[in-house]
Amino acid sequence: MGVKDKIKNNIRNNISQRYIKKLLGILSVKPLLYTYGNTFPSKADKYLNIFTIESLKKAYSDNKKPVSYGSIFLPYEMFHALGITPFLPEVMAGFTAGLGLTSQTLKEASSKWYSQDLCTFHRSASGAVELDLFPEPEFIITTNLACDAAQKSFYIDSMKYNIEKNFYQIDVPYHNSEKSLSYLTAQIKNICNDICLKRGEKLNLNRFKEVINLSNEFRKWAIKANNLRKELINYPPYYNGLNFVLPFHALAGTKEAVTLYRQMYVEFKNYLDKKEGTDTYDNRPVKRIIWLHLKPYYKSEIFYILNRENYRVVFEEINHVYWPELDPEKPFESMAKKMLSHYLSGSIENRINMIIKAAGDYKADGAILFSHWGCRQSNGGARIIKDSLKEINVPTLVLDGDCVNRNNSSQGQAKTRLQGFIEILKS
Amino acid sequence: MPEEQEITRTIKKKINNTADFFKKSGYMSSSRPSVGWFCTYTPEELIIAGGFTPVRIFGRNKISRSESYFPINFCPYVKASWEGFLGDSRDFEGLIFTNSCDGMRRFFDIARRYLNDVPSHLLDIPHLKNKESLDFFAGNIKDTKIFIEKLRGKKITGSEIENAAAVVNNKRQLLKELQGFIRKFPHILNISTYYKIMELALVSDPESFLDDIRKYLDFLKKVTDENSSHLKTDLKKYPPIMIIGSFIAETKLWEILTEMDVRLAFDDLCTSGRYFENPIKLDKSKNLIESIASGYLNKPQCMRMADLGFKFSEIKNNIINNDIKGVMFMGLKFCDTMLYPFSTLKKELSDMGIPVLYLEIEYNNFSEGQIKTRMQAFLEML
Repeated sequence: MGVKDKIKNNIRNNISQRYIKKLLGILSVKPLLYTYGNTFPSKADKYLNIFTIESLKKAYSDNKKPVSYGSIFLPYEMFHALGITPFLPEVMAGFTAGLGLTSQTLKEASSKWYSQDLCTFHRSASGAVELDLFPEPEFIITTNLACDAAQKSFYIDSMKYNIEKNFYQIDVPYHNSEKSLSYLTAQIKNICNDICLKRGEKLNLNRFKEVINLSNEFRKWAIKANNLRKELINYPPYYNGLNFVLPFHALAGTKEAVTLYRQMYVEFKNYLDKKEGTDTYDNRPVKRIIWLHLKPYYKSEIFYILNRENYRVVFEEINHVYWPELDPEKPFESMAKKMLSHYLSGSIENRINMIIKAAGDYKADGAILFSHWGCRQSNGGARIIKDSLKEINVPTLVLDGDCVNRNNSSQGQAKTRLQGFIEILKS
Repeated sequence: MPEEQEITRTIKKKINNTADFFKKSGYMSSSRPSVGWFCTYTPEELIIAGGFTPVRIFGRNKISRSESYFPINFCPYVKASWEGFLGDSRDFEGLIFTNSCDGMRRFFDIARRYLNDVPSHLLDIPHLKNKESLDFFAGNIKDTKIFIEKLRGKKITGSEIENAAAVVNNKRQLLKELQGFIRKFPHILNISTYYKIMELALVSDPESFLDDIRKYLDFLKKVTDENSSHLKTDLKKYPPIMIIGSFIAETKLWEILTEMDVRLAFDDLCTSGRYFENPIKLDKSKNLIESIASGYLNKPQCMRMADLGFKFSEIKNNIINNDIKGVMFMGLKFCDTMLYPFSTLKKELSDMGIPVLYLEIEYNNFSEGQIKTRMQAFLEML
C-alpha cells in the first residue's frame, strides 16, 4: 500500500474534523508539502495538490480569518478581496468520494431525511456538515447559478450553524441584460458592504483592484493553456482537467491561480513542442473528445479505457473561460458580468452555443455528457445538447452515473456504453 | 337521529355533485383563446387583460413520449405536461413559463426548441424579496405584458388591467370562502370536491367560473344555515391536518382523503392557498404593474425562494393559527425545491410536537394501496 492509500485509509478509519485538522497540519508543512507535490508527474497536478492542501489548511485552521462556505459558481474574487477564506462544500463532496467517505456521509444525510433522489454532491456535503467534518463558517454565500440544490442545502447549513443572518444568496437573473446587470451588481456590492459592516471593517477598493488584476492574470494563462489544448494530444501522465474545479473557481483572484495556470501553460507548451501537435500518438490516430459536466471522483475505469483506445479529452466545459476580462475600476459590475456570462445561466442555448464553438475549436470527434444522478439542470438539457451536436456531426454519449456515489453507478454498464460509443466513433 | 343522518346524506350528495353547479366552468369553456401557464407567480391579470383565458397546465397525460426528452429522474409534472403538448392539445395561443426551478427552465428550453407553433415566454421571478428584487420583478412583468400584447396584436390598457385585477381578486376571495367551508364542514364537503373546484378555478374562463362558484357558495351558505341544527357535528372526530406540497393534483389522492375522518384545516399548495391567498392591492401611489409585482412577490411563499426561514415561519404560524395536529407533506418525485427543505422542516415541526407524514408523489402514477395504508396509520396516530 502506497503513502496516499495509507492516508486515505487513516481518514476513513478516523473520520473526524480533529483528525482532518491534524492531517492538514502535518501535510501543510512546507518541505513535506512540496515533497508530496513532487510525487505527481505533472507540474499542473503538483501545484493543484499543493494549493488545495494550503487552501484547506486555511479553512480548517482556527485563525482569525473568517471562513465562508461558497457554492461553486460564485465570483470568488469577492472572497479574496474581503479577506474571507472560501470553503466549497460541493467540491469537498467530490473529495469525500475520492477518499471513500461517501458511505458515511450519505448514510448520515439519509438518516436526516435527505431523499436519495437528490444530487449526491449536496447530499454528501450535507452529511459531512451533520457529521461536523467541515469547518464552522462565519458566512455562507450561494447562488441559483447553476442549480436549485446549493441554495437549499446551504440555507439548511446556515440553520445548523445558527448563522441565517450571515446567509447570502446571489440571485442571478435568467436573462443577460442591462436590467439584470444592475440588479446583480447591486446585490454583490450590498453583500460585500454587509460583510464588511459585520466584520467591523471598511470596504477596501484597492484590495478589490489587486484581486481583479490577479483574476485577469489567471484568466489570461487559463485561456493560453486551453488554446494549446486545441492542438495538444500528448498530455502529462495522469493529467485530468476535471480535477481542477477548485483552483479554477475558488482561487480566481489569487497568486496561486496565476502560478498554477502559468505552470500548466508551460507544461502543455513543452509537451506540444515535443510532439509538434500531430494527429497520431504511438502511430495510432487520436480521437478528440469534449467532456460535458463532471466525472466520477472515485476510482473509475472510464479514463483508463479512453486512454487505452487512444481517445483524449481535449476540452472540459468546467474549464471553459466563459467570462470577459474584468475591470478593476468596476469590481462589482465585473463580477456581475462574470456570473451573467456563465454558460449554465439562463437558457440552454447559452450552453449549447459554447459547446458547439468548443466542438469546432477543439476539433471534436465526439462528446461525452456525464449524466450525474440528480443533476436536473444539466441532464434536463441532454436531449437538446445531443440533437444540437448531431446537427454538426458530433456524436454524443450521455453516460449515466454518479460523480460521488460509487454504489449508484453501474461501472459495467458505463464500460459497455463507452465501448459502444468508441466503436461508433471508429467506424 | 336517522332523519338527521338522512338530511345530512342528502345535503352531502348535493353539494359534492359539482357538475350541477359548475356548468359553465371547465377546460376550454371559453370562446376566448387560451394562454397556458405553469406557476402561481404568473400574473393571471395580464392574461385576462389581454383578452385571453389563463389556463393552468395540469399535465393530465400519461408519460410516454416525453421520456425521450427528459431524463428518467426528472420532474413528473413537467414530463406529463410536455406529453400533452406532444399530443393534439395545442390549443394555446401562447405559453408563459417561469424560472421557478431547474425543471421549469429546462421545460422552457424544450418547448422553445421543439414546440415551434406555440409562442412561449419566460417570466423571470427573483428569489429575493426586497426593494431591488421588486423593481426587477416589475420590469420582468412588463416584458410579459409585451409578450401578451404581441399575441393579441394590440396594447393592453390600464383599465383592462384594473378590470382583470378585480376579476382575479373576486376569484381569490371566493376560493378563500370555500376554504372556510371545508374547515367548518369536513363531514359534508369532500376534500375531493374542494380540489376539483380549485382545478376549475385554475383552468376555466374566469367570469364563467365566478358565476358558477357564486351560485355554489350561495347554495352552501343557504343549506348550511337552514340545516344548522342537523349539520352539527363533533369536530373532534376530525383531526385538523395541513397539507404542504408543490403542484399536487392527484384526484385519487383526494378521494382517499375524502374517505377518511379528517379535517383539511389548512393547505399550502400551488393548487390552492398559494394561488388564492393575498389579493392584489391596486395601490394608487404605484403604477399597476408595480402593484401586481408586489402582490405576487409577497403572496404565500414557494419553497423556491431564497429565505427558507421565512417559509418555515409561515408554515409554523399557520399550524398554530389553525390548531393543526398533523402535517401531510407531499412532494413531487425529483422535486429538489421541496425535497431539500423537508429534512429541516420535519425537525422544526417535530420540535413543535407536530407529526409529519411524508408522501412522495409520482405524477399520474399513483400507488393507491400503499399511500392509503400510510395515511390511515398516520391519522390513527393523531
